Amino acid sequence: MQLEERTASIDIENVNHLFPGGVRAVSDATLRIHAGEFLSIVGPSGCGKTTLLNLIAGLIELRDGRISVAGGSPRAGRHEVAYMLARDCLYPWRTALENVMMAGEFRGVPKATRMKRAKELLGHVGLAEFEDHYPKALSHGMRQRVALARTFSLDSPVMLMDEPFGALDAQTKLQLEDVLLDLWNAEKRTVLFITHDLNEAVTMSDRVVVMSPRPGRIIADISIPLPRPRSVRALQKDPHYHEIYSNVWSRLEEGLNQEGRHAP
Amino acid sequence: MNPETRRNSPTVLILQIVSLVLFLLLWEWAAKTRAVDPLFIGQPSKIFAYLYQSVFVDQVLLKEAVWTLSETAAAFVLGSVAGIAFGLLFVLYEPIERFLDPPFSALNSLPRIALAPLFLLWFGLGPISKIALGFSLTFFIVLNNTVAGARSVDSDWIILARMLGAGKAKIFFKVTLISAVPTIFSGLRLGLIYALLGVIGGEIIASQYGLGQLLSLLANTFETNGVFAVLFFLAALGVTLSKLMSAIEAYLLRWR
Repeated sequence: MQLEERTASIDIENVNHLFPGGVRAVSDATLRIHAGEFLSIVGPSGCGKTTLLNLIAGLIELRDGRISVAGGSPRAGRHEVAYMLARDCLYPWRTALENVMMAGEFRGVPKATRMKRAKELLGHVGLAEFEDHYPKALSHGMRQRVALARTFSLDSPVMLMDEPFGALDAQTKLQLEDVLLDLWNAEKRTVLFITHDLNEAVTMSDRVVVMSPRPGRIIADISIPLPRPRSVRALQKDPHYHEIYSNVWSRLEEGLNQEGRHAP
Repeated sequence: MNPETRRNSPTVLILQIVSLVLFLLLWEWAAKTRAVDPLFIGQPSKIFAYLYQSVFVDQVLLKEAVWTLSETAAAFVLGSVAGIAFGLLFVLYEPIERFLDPPFSALNSLPRIALAPLFLLWFGLGPISKIALGFSLTFFIVLNNTVAGARSVDSDWIILARMLGAGKAKIFFKVTLISAVPTIFSGLRLGLIYALLGVIGGEIIASQYGLGQLLSLLANTFETNGVFAVLFFLAALGVTLSKLMSAIEAYLLRWR
């Protein structure tokens, strides 16, 4: 089956989430993410963006509202959904290659197939020579590259990423953003990318959605008209990018100010 | 310089050898001049003579060691297998742990050597009573480490495995269990030494064979040199077993 033919959108309608103790994490979120779209959610820490992601992932039980992911309801472990965290979460007892092969192993992909795919992906992320290294012998950035390869090793049409580069230094982060964009360009999947870094969101996404501080509400939904394919590093010097960035920034401030006026 | 190289630096090694030799010489002198009665402390030259005789000539020590080691091996293997099995059962089905906790805690708090008379009554003077005693020590150590190891698994590893589509069984065997291996291993290393302790203890109390029985026989006949010889031999045996476990561990856990 071709990737493009699948229904790979995420539909979120009137989703609310209260944590035990009455803390409202997500407030009336409605959002539609199209198949093959790269969408980022930005917002200050604690605004509920991770909660929203985990609701979509099926890691938190949805109680109020409706979510549809790739034509089904959220459930952890669905083949249609890949997931990546800020922590690399590599298994230390497995080599880089074995870690990338892990995803397919859990899903019963034949060994030869997953080995071929894993080697290919490690090549793409620039770690072909580090296949047999254990995670302890890899740097932070390299470990996150392995995690990227692992995330892409499944042909899930939807990818959920929770600040995957949040723990990296600025240089490594730019490199890995480009690695991700390259992988994504090759096989446009739906990406929902959580970050608190507006620069990262604008350079990578087709659309940026801004969430307010708790209770998390969607306060802006902005299209990023930068041409593809992009290079995150080249964009840093592009005046057109800076124009868009400041535009998004003022929309964000506007949204936050309006929120301030609405707040009791 | 890391602690490992510092510990093995030649200066320290030379100092260790020199002080050992000095200590033995002092001991030899004290025994020879009867500054201390050799009945209590033996005499190094005679201890080594006994060691030589009983290892290379009549091989008494080796023959008894075969008994002790086979009993230890049996106690260790049975205790470890049962300890790991119960540990995993406890982690998988917590109600079983809650149900068994009172009797297990009570048994674990009991000085195990106190069970020796009962085991002798049940299993006789032969190897089985020694194996039972060693088992009773190894079992609880390995059990506790298995439970602790499996419980301390990183929760993000589990979440990731779930998201990657792993079922409960795969998560358990491919993540939880493997992540517990280092902790289980430190339990096994300790468990082996305690298996030896249980077996020797059992042999000292009542036995026909084994190093413990030999030790007790020699002490009762005031063969102090023999007693020390057996102790040296046991110390060497313990160190060897420990090193062996460490080597296996270093190989299996080379990813650490």
